[in-house]
Amino acid sequence: MEICKVFFHLSVSVILSPLQNYPLYIRSVPSQSELKFHYTVHTSLDVVEEKISTAGKAMAEQRELYLGLLYPTEDYKVYGYVTNSKVKFVIVVDSSNTSLRDNEIRSMFRKLHNSFTDVMCNPFYNPGDPIQSRAMFTMVSGLKSDKCGWLV
Amino acid sequence: MSVPDYMQCAEDHQTVLVVVQPVGIVPEDQFFRIYKRISSVNQVNVRDTQRALFIRYRHHYPPENNEWGDFQTHRKVVGLISVTSCSSAKEWPQTAERFHGQKELFGSTLYDSRLLVFGLQGDIAEQQRTDVAFYPSYDNCPDVEKRVEDFVESIFIVLESKRLDRATDKSGDKIPLLCVPFEKKDFVGLDTDSRHYKKRCQGRMRKHVGDLCLQAGMLQDALVHYHMAVELLRSVNDFLWLGAALEGLCSASVIFHYPGGTAGKSGARKPSISAATDTGKRHRPGALTTSGISADTSSEIGRAKNCLSQEDIIEKYKEAISYYGKYKNAGVIELEACVKAVRVLAIQKRAMEASEFLQNAVYINLGQLSEEEKIQRYSVLSELYELIGFHRKSAFFKRVAAMQCVAPTIPDPGWKACYRLLLETLPGYSLSLDPKDFSKGTHRGWAAVQMRLLHELVYASRRMGNPGLSVRHLSFLLQTMLDFLSDQEKKEVTQSLENYTSKCPGGMNIITLPDGLKLPPVPFTKLPIVKSVSLLNLPASLRPHKVKGLPGQGVTSASPFIYSPITLHSRGDDRTKKIDFQWVQGDVCEVQLMVYNPMPFELRVENMGLLMSGVEFESLPAALSLPAESGLYPVTLVGVPRTAGNITVNGYHTSVFGVSSDCLLDSLVGVKSSGCTVEVVPSLPRLQLSTSLPRSARLCGEDLSSSVCLQLFNGETQQLVITLENIGSETLNTLEMSSKTLTTKEKLFGDFLSWDLQDALSRLPLKPGQAVTVPVDIHAKLDFSGQENLLQDLNDDGISVTGLPISSPLRQVLKPRPENKQKTNTEGGTEGHSGEQKINRGKKNDTLEAVLNFRYSGGLGQVEGYYREISLGVKVDVEPSVFFTRVSTLPASSTRQCHLLLDVFNPTEHELTLTARNQQLILHSSECQRMAIQVDKFDFESLPMPSHDVLRQSSLYQQEEERQQAHGGQINSTLDLRWNIISFSCQLLSSLCSSGEASVEGVLTQLVLEHMQLAPLQWDVLVNGKACDSDVVADCKVGDAVPLEVKLTNRSKSPVGPFSLTVVPFQDYQNGVQNSELQDVVTFIGSNSFYIDSVSPAGNSTCVGALLFLYTGDFYLSIKFQDDSVGRDLPPASFCLPSVHVRAQDPA
Repeated sequence: MEICKVFFHLSVSVILSPLQNYPLYIRSVPSQSELKFHYTVHTSLDVVEEKISTAGKAMAEQRELYLGLLYPTEDYKVYGYVTNSKVKFVIVVDSSNTSLRDNEIRSMFRKLHNSFTDVMCNPFYNPGDPIQSRAMFTMVSGLKSDKCGWLV
Repeated sequence: MSVPDYMQCAEDHQTVLVVVQPVGIVPEDQFFRIYKRISSVNQVNVRDTQRALFIRYRHHYPPENNEWGDFQTHRKVVGLISVTSCSSAKEWPQTAERFHGQKELFGSTLYDSRLLVFGLQGDIAEQQRTDVAFYPSYDNCPDVEKRVEDFVESIFIVLESKRLDRATDKSGDKIPLLCVPFEKKDFVGLDTDSRHYKKRCQGRMRKHVGDLCLQAGMLQDALVHYHMAVELLRSVNDFLWLGAALEGLCSASVIFHYPGGTAGKSGARKPSISAATDTGKRHRPGALTTSGISADTSSEIGRAKNCLSQEDIIEKYKEAISYYGKYKNAGVIELEACVKAVRVLAIQKRAMEASEFLQNAVYINLGQLSEEEKIQRYSVLSELYELIGFHRKSAFFKRVAAMQCVAPTIPDPGWKACYRLLLETLPGYSLSLDPKDFSKGTHRGWAAVQMRLLHELVYASRRMGNPGLSVRHLSFLLQTMLDFLSDQEKKEVTQSLENYTSKCPGGMNIITLPDGLKLPPVPFTKLPIVKSVSLLNLPASLRPHKVKGLPGQGVTSASPFIYSPITLHSRGDDRTKKIDFQWVQGDVCEVQLMVYNPMPFELRVENMGLLMSGVEFESLPAALSLPAESGLYPVTLVGVPRTAGNITVNGYHTSVFGVSSDCLLDSLVGVKSSGCTVEVVPSLPRLQLSTSLPRSARLCGEDLSSSVCLQLFNGETQQLVITLENIGSETLNTLEMSSKTLTTKEKLFGDFLSWDLQDALSRLPLKPGQAVTVPVDIHAKLDFSGQENLLQDLNDDGISVTGLPISSPLRQVLKPRPENKQKTNTEGGTEGHSGEQKINRGKKNDTLEAVLNFRYSGGLGQVEGYYREISLGVKVDVEPSVFFTRVSTLPASSTRQCHLLLDVFNPTEHELTLTARNQQLILHSSECQRMAIQVDKFDFESLPMPSHDVLRQSSLYQQEEERQQAHGGQINSTLDLRWNIISFSCQLLSSLCSSGEASVEGVLTQLVLEHMQLAPLQWDVLVNGKACDSDVVADCKVGDAVPLEVKLTNRSKSPVGPFSLTVVPFQDYQNGVQNSELQDVVTFIGSNSFYIDSVSPAGNSTCVGALLFLYTGDFYLSIKFQDDSVGRDLPPASFCLPSVHVRAQDPA
């Protein structure tokens, strides 16, 4: 069993209070004990913000979007990704799943980012609202099956 | 060693540990007062040196920790201060014994000890002992601090001696092996002579000396010793001690780099004032000076080299911790090292690395921990995360700690502690308990976890036994998280809220927690959601109006310009806008809210009322029930202003689920409002209007309080009695009445409404409860002319089918119109009632509408210049009574008279009698007959002319119109046409007979009028001095001269003439033959022709002649104009002279 969890966060601006973070899209497979992941991801935002603020100082322009492993817990690994507009993606995977390499996580994030861009291009989408996109749903489901493939 | 000290920080390595403990029974508060005074002495500058000694006080210290004193000397208890109460000398021995017992507990490590005895007086207290101090009471012990300082100095001396003893111990004598408690058994039977062992001993001793140097205030020495220790211990792989040596190195470096300390403000260590004022930078004796006791090993050059750089500190900490990690029993040491490192990193602002240390600390297993220790551990983790700015992580651990407080394994759950800890987590989850923070913009923070936290707060406060708090938190949850709750959750939350409020209703008070936190009230602004607020005007009949022209009116305009395109933008603040209507004191006024219910079930809102300010206001609350997920739903809230002034709608209050809330409009978002401030004028009387006729539907387009509707035949008159009752509380002083006829297509003749107000006015002032009546005559008089096309239809098929006896001249005049004929053929179909139908249809829509206005005032409002208006709409459906389809004239025998011919048509379904002067005509339904009325010609010139002002204003056309109307009226009044419907309607028994007057005004054409007008030239013919007209026969005798006088009076505006007239006598044989050859029968005396000179306006001219009749007989005299050309510009009617009938008789 492996768990994929995708979170999107929107930060209005990084200068503003970091408390503006709230989830735009949450998906977890399987869906039980979801609240636990809420806590996991919520706390991981501390790390994300810390990373952004330190990286931001160094080189604002050519910052790497991929933040890498945010922190490992006993059961999960939490990865982060931040777009230039400070939209945050977080993926939590089962830490027993050793087959996942950094590159794969990276590509997952890239796919997510593309999908998110598509959602934002939707003229009927109101930025800031929770995302309810079918395309996004299938894409995230695709991520999962991809990895299932890896598992097999 | 199992009890970690989470408060530790790097600089604690520098301190010496002193335990302060009570002996026997000491009141807790007194003890802590003394403890506080003792611990204020945390830094002592030792005499003769510039070194300082730092002291760490503990009132509780587990002895097993003391056993690690050799490992890190700051863990060693070196001093003991006991505090005791001793009231009598008898107790003294026992107390002293206990003190000794306590000393033995830490005996192996103590350098010195003191006993502070309170309350003992007498001999024993007199004795001078260095280790015991006597004070009469806890309040009377001025030199406690001094005592402690002395005590510290004595400790310093011991410490210094120990340091020197160990440091100079280079004799190569056997160095004892220092070891930690769990190592002891490992070294049993080891070869003590091996080089390895010796090195180990040396290394450990070096480290120990380093510790002592650090404590004694010799930082540089300490660094040197630590470096040596590290080298020695590394070579023998003594990892635990190597770790300790590294940590010591780190600690010393930290102390050097961060003189302000790393514990932050939460730590016990504060730089004393003396030190702070010293040089600004904290002076480290021993480090910067060479004048100390031992300055041998340290030098200015070596200092910077020995000290670790800031990055190295962290590296060494990491290394040390990794060595500690090799030993299971050193968990506490490792944990504390982590904590210390985190504090250093926090100062360095390296949060990421700090979080790694903390992450590591989380996984350090300390074996079985008690619940209390767990709570403490989580709390400390939380604090540390807070320290490095990881607020969420901090909140997470704090919440875990809170949950630990009430873990099911705990027999006595600490709900209060749990609640307190939960409250502390709020900022980490971006939650505040003030609903205002959530009222604007998008939701802040992570709703899912926030909701969870709120649920926990609710539960904890309930278990604490504070239902008020639960209600407040639950209200907050419902208000702020409404968008995130599922339908099921909404139901659950509201159900539990109702359960709680049944015990403790929620209100708008601020709940203050014991620790001072204030919980602001949570108004349910989303239950229901208010979308717009609009103040409603009073009903038209109750609106106050300002009397115009009063001084002070109209000067309120702020701008000096009448019109300006620049409008002052008060952006977004339309709520402060004032509304242009007024409310009246004492009268119910209304505010309409558009609300909707976002809940998936029916929402019961009770006690919904208005919150007003500015004026004393009596709100009349309403209860409403909104269906599930309702759309916009109008709710009208009412109230009565009790005083006059400006009133402002501030908001509304509701009671939902047992929680009463005051929702202020300022705090609501997305509320549309057209202004919330309105003026309340002083009270006015109130009139209720009732009429003798039944009420009817409102007239369109007019704001009327009531209206009546009635049906009248054209020309009918009906009386309407209006009763006005004062139903207000003020006396009515003035009453005015006016009417306004609404524009209709129809031309109206005469006054539609007429009334007499005198009687009503005589009964003023009208007290409350009294009534007056006003009779009003309704007089419906429309055009009686038949429409042309309608008549034509009648002619075309009416005659052939129904055989209407319509007079023939009409048929000749009006030519049939083919298109109309076609239309009726297709429409009318078979039967011949189409004509009749058409009439009904054509005339049915004739309605007259008018508004009767009553303007009244009284009470205080009258003083302020306000009045009220009540209006009554009157609508009359006018049914046609008679039509005058055609009007024409025939000259009568007299030139002063003529016959008016009226073709009268009865369009009703009843038999109708028409009377005119002395004539009567009976018309059956749909019958048309001609009526001839002989009338005197009219002298229109004698009518009063309108004044010049009017003339100037109105156009020529209007003048003409008016004149014609006046002429028509005159004709009408002389005609006095009346109709009478005899067999009127079996259904309406009450009015079996209805009657009215008819008017020809509308039918009279210009031509007819001209005919009926007296000619502008009035001719009078007098025979024998008698005026002759057509019917009058003048008698004369044969043989007598008959004088003939012709008189011309000019009534026109211009002079006329000259004319010449010829008198021609003739005889009429009554068979169409007229004989004018009468030369031998009649002779003229003088000329038979007259000459009239021009006659100026209003002048007259007379010419006289005479006739002589020779035979008897009837003669006629026809007076003819000699020459017509002169009167060309005048109408021929003007030259119509009466023919004179003369009967000549025998003179006998």
